Amino acid sequence: MALSTYLVPSAAKSAVALCLVVALPCLAIHVAFTGPLVTTITNFLVMLTAVAALGVFAGNSGILSFGHCAFMALGAQISATLTIAPAMKKSAFPLLPDFILQNQLGLVLALLVTMILVGTVAWAIGLAICRLNGSSASISTLGLLIIVESLIVAAQGYTRGNQAVYGVQKLINIPTALALALLAIAVARLFRDSRPGLLLRAGRENEAAAQSVGIDVPRQRLTAWVVSAMLSAMAGAMMAHFLTVFSPKQFYFDLTFAIIVMQVVGGMASVTGAVAGAVLVTALIEVLRRFENGLDLGFMQVPQIFGVTQVGLSLIIIVTLYRRREGLLGFAEIENFWPALRRVIGGAPIGGTPAAASPAPAGELAVEGVTKAYGGLVAVDQVNLTLRTGEILGLIGPNGSGKTTLLGCIAGTHAPTAGKVRIDQTEITGHPPYVVARLGIGRTFQNIRLFTNLTALENVMAALAQRHSAIPRQELESRALDLLGELKIAELAGRTAGTLAYGQQRRLEIARALALEPRFMLLDEPAAGMNESETNDLLGILAWLVKERGLGLLIVDHDMQLIMRLCQRIAVLNKGQLIALGTPAEVQRNPAVREAYLGRRHAEKMIA
Amino acid sequence: MSRFLKIGVSLAALAISTATGALADDVLKIGFAGGFTGYLAPYDQPTLQGIELAVDEINNAGGIDGKLKIEVITRDMRSEIAQSAVMAQELIDQGINVMLAPCDVDPAVAAGQIAQGAGIPTIAPCASTPTLPGIVGDYMFANYTADNLQGTALADFAIQQGYKNALILISKDTPYTEKLPGYFAKVFEAKGGKLADAVEFKMGQQDFSAEVTKIKQLNPAPDVIMTAAYEPDFPAFIKQLRSAGIATPVLGSDGIDSPTTLALGEIAEGVVFANAGFPSAGSPLAKFNDAFKAHFGQESSTVYTATGYDVIKIVEAAVKATGGKTDGASLREAIDNLENVPVATGTITYKGMNRVPLRVVALNRIVGGQKTHVADVTPNGADVPPAE
Repeated sequence: MALSTYLVPSAAKSAVALCLVVALPCLAIHVAFTGPLVTTITNFLVMLTAVAALGVFAGNSGILSFGHCAFMALGAQISATLTIAPAMKKSAFPLLPDFILQNQLGLVLALLVTMILVGTVAWAIGLAICRLNGSSASISTLGLLIIVESLIVAAQGYTRGNQAVYGVQKLINIPTALALALLAIAVARLFRDSRPGLLLRAGRENEAAAQSVGIDVPRQRLTAWVVSAMLSAMAGAMMAHFLTVFSPKQFYFDLTFAIIVMQVVGGMASVTGAVAGAVLVTALIEVLRRFENGLDLGFMQVPQIFGVTQVGLSLIIIVTLYRRREGLLGFAEIENFWPALRRVIGGAPIGGTPAAASPAPAGELAVEGVTKAYGGLVAVDQVNLTLRTGEILGLIGPNGSGKTTLLGCIAGTHAPTAGKVRIDQTEITGHPPYVVARLGIGRTFQNIRLFTNLTALENVMAALAQRHSAIPRQELESRALDLLGELKIAELAGRTAGTLAYGQQRRLEIARALALEPRFMLLDEPAAGMNESETNDLLGILAWLVKERGLGLLIVDHDMQLIMRLCQRIAVLNKGQLIALGTPAEVQRNPAVREAYLGRRHAEKMIA
Repeated sequence: MSRFLKIGVSLAALAISTATGALADDVLKIGFAGGFTGYLAPYDQPTLQGIELAVDEINNAGGIDGKLKIEVITRDMRSEIAQSAVMAQELIDQGINVMLAPCDVDPAVAAGQIAQGAGIPTIAPCASTPTLPGIVGDYMFANYTADNLQGTALADFAIQQGYKNALILISKDTPYTEKLPGYFAKVFEAKGGKLADAVEFKMGQQDFSAEVTKIKQLNPAPDVIMTAAYEPDFPAFIKQLRSAGIATPVLGSDGIDSPTTLALGEIAEGVVFANAGFPSAGSPLAKFNDAFKAHFGQESSTVYTATGYDVIKIVEAAVKATGGKTDGASLREAIDNLENVPVATGTITYKGMNRVPLRVVALNRIVGGQKTHVADVTPNGADVPPAE
């Protein structure tokens, strides 16, 4: 396994730059100042760690978590239990077993033990939470927060219950906090561009599309969830050893919201954004709270008004969200502002012509008696079809005839009620879409589904990285560029996918599907919304896919001309049933087809 | 003039005002890192009013002993522990002689530890957890009626009423709702009473039918129920208790010293509860309330104004005891040895109390929707159970 799948050199550079940006001012303050500023900076570093930790999960998965303070609470609780002096431990936690009571660990060892324990707990919880999507996932994390808080309170004797844990050693100061914060930032930044980070971001952008290139989204979420929980536990431990006193209620809603505010203001999907958010919110509080103490403006006296900080902060958050919903930095990282860190991708000449991919081995995709019923409604009724490699099969039918449902039954997004689908001798029914994709079926979607906020290159790389778990980063990039080149969009590699023109997006979607090295491809209305030249363009690509790559294509489209021109065979569905299958000419002559499209009387008239 | 220039001017003015702030000498500086916003605001804001009143009175009379004026510097720690430490450090950098900590134990510890390190005495005006001074160290003092003191006063009253069999209603959600009845039970049992049961509730649960049924089924029935539940739990509990036909007397803590309890009407009739003082005619608390109204133009809304006032009286007494010395060590020593200092809520003694003051606990009975005075109790220091 290549190290560069996890440690991407460009991300490492970005991480180092980001760490320097954080470290230098903090060190300067550490050397030059004493007093409250030191406490403020230490607190900032602890919060920064917590924000970066949350970002590993929330930023990459797109699921906001309210539950990470639970991991902080556990981190604080466990690490403090390990570092408190044995004499004190006996009175604070009388029920703990002797080997814990009698031993005392240093900060580093305590952190390691804490992070491993919390990581294990997070893994177990994550098995359930990571299967959920969107807001149901967020709400379940809220439940996690409440449950963990109640458990800590209830475990009095092992914990201090609702009471403050005190006597924690002050092991966190600016240097130690800085070291740990930098660790969190670096891990977060490296994770973002690593293979699991890339796959997860693809899932964040579009789960259905991610599955269509074989990405098991819940599994990728679980990885990020565990990493992020471990870092959160570290942040919690830092907080405990910085404040030296804490109680369960401290790791609850207020802290949750303080962390989320920093993350949302800075930009949830960016590590640089996490840093920016933490810096900005801390700086604002520091400025605002000085106004709160009242001041003499020369011409007038402003009295002391409590609450200025909260009000000002809330206003700024509202304004930020109103003006920039993605947060100040959106998806940008530090290299987007620092040209020296940026590496030119795309457009660069690639050595030689891309190695021609060997054509897919011959075979067939067979649909056998597939039925899909929703209650009494039979959407697809006992359909039999065979698609061979190197052939284009058209699937047509009036609206509501079951075309998309049948496509879903093949791709694994719908489970057939009866019948089976197989590739050669391998049955693929009953598998989730990402497994079907891995078995050799690529697809494009009716309404193009790209990983919108990733670059064109990353779109293809995500699919490639899924397919080949261990190829080195450089090869991954060059293979992705080759694929883009084959679809004549190599010069767009560095562009964000969402900013591409419609035809380019369709090409990118096909390039991404090809990264799977599929033998068959399902295309749902690939020409929908295209003008004539774009359509012609597409026809060229599709013909190339069949001729050069030897793929078998199943195309659903309403554009009769396109279907007639392109397909060797056409299957016609009506009310879920296959009513005709044959060459374009045969199908055109078929009275049942005419009837389905035009109605019985029209059809009879035309035959007469 | 651009708005940036305006902001620049304000910032410059700000810098100058903070820089010159520390110049004046010959005053006693008291720093209060309070939670003036956030969940502590209902406690720390009234405390600050009481402090203001006491400082005004003393300064108008020429200062402590007629010469040393008091300056109060406040910082809002926004009810956050980390900010409590930041503000404490900021106050110490301003050269304060005495620190006042926020009203909750965790942030009070954070502020107290900073002051402990700097050798500056800290008083927590209204945190009631008796372990607080022990956690921080010898420079940390409590001021408010500690939970174990209050529990003892209520237990003494219960014994004196001849109750034999007590039930406590507790919630493990906060130390206050759990430990205070615990202290009560300890003293009650030590003095020959019997604990019938400890029934548990969850704060904010609304429905007390399970607890009430449990109490109803007890045999023998308890002859008194003691709880430290407060709003919204206490009103819900007592409504359901009384409507189940249970007429057992109920003892409560200072958490129910609020207009809501009085507004319960017939249901709350006869409930006895403890607090920091009762303003009977001619008492110091009545005098304080009058002075408060004269100063602020409104009635004092809670007893925390009076206990805030008390803190300044303690500092005044300590400075007098040192003969005008204001260094941390001398003040610490002086506070630790104070005895019978007259304050708004009665008297306060620190000597021999491990920095948790012995003070009057007032017992009140609700009669016809009004608080009536039952007794002022100063428990025997030896009866008070150790803080846990």
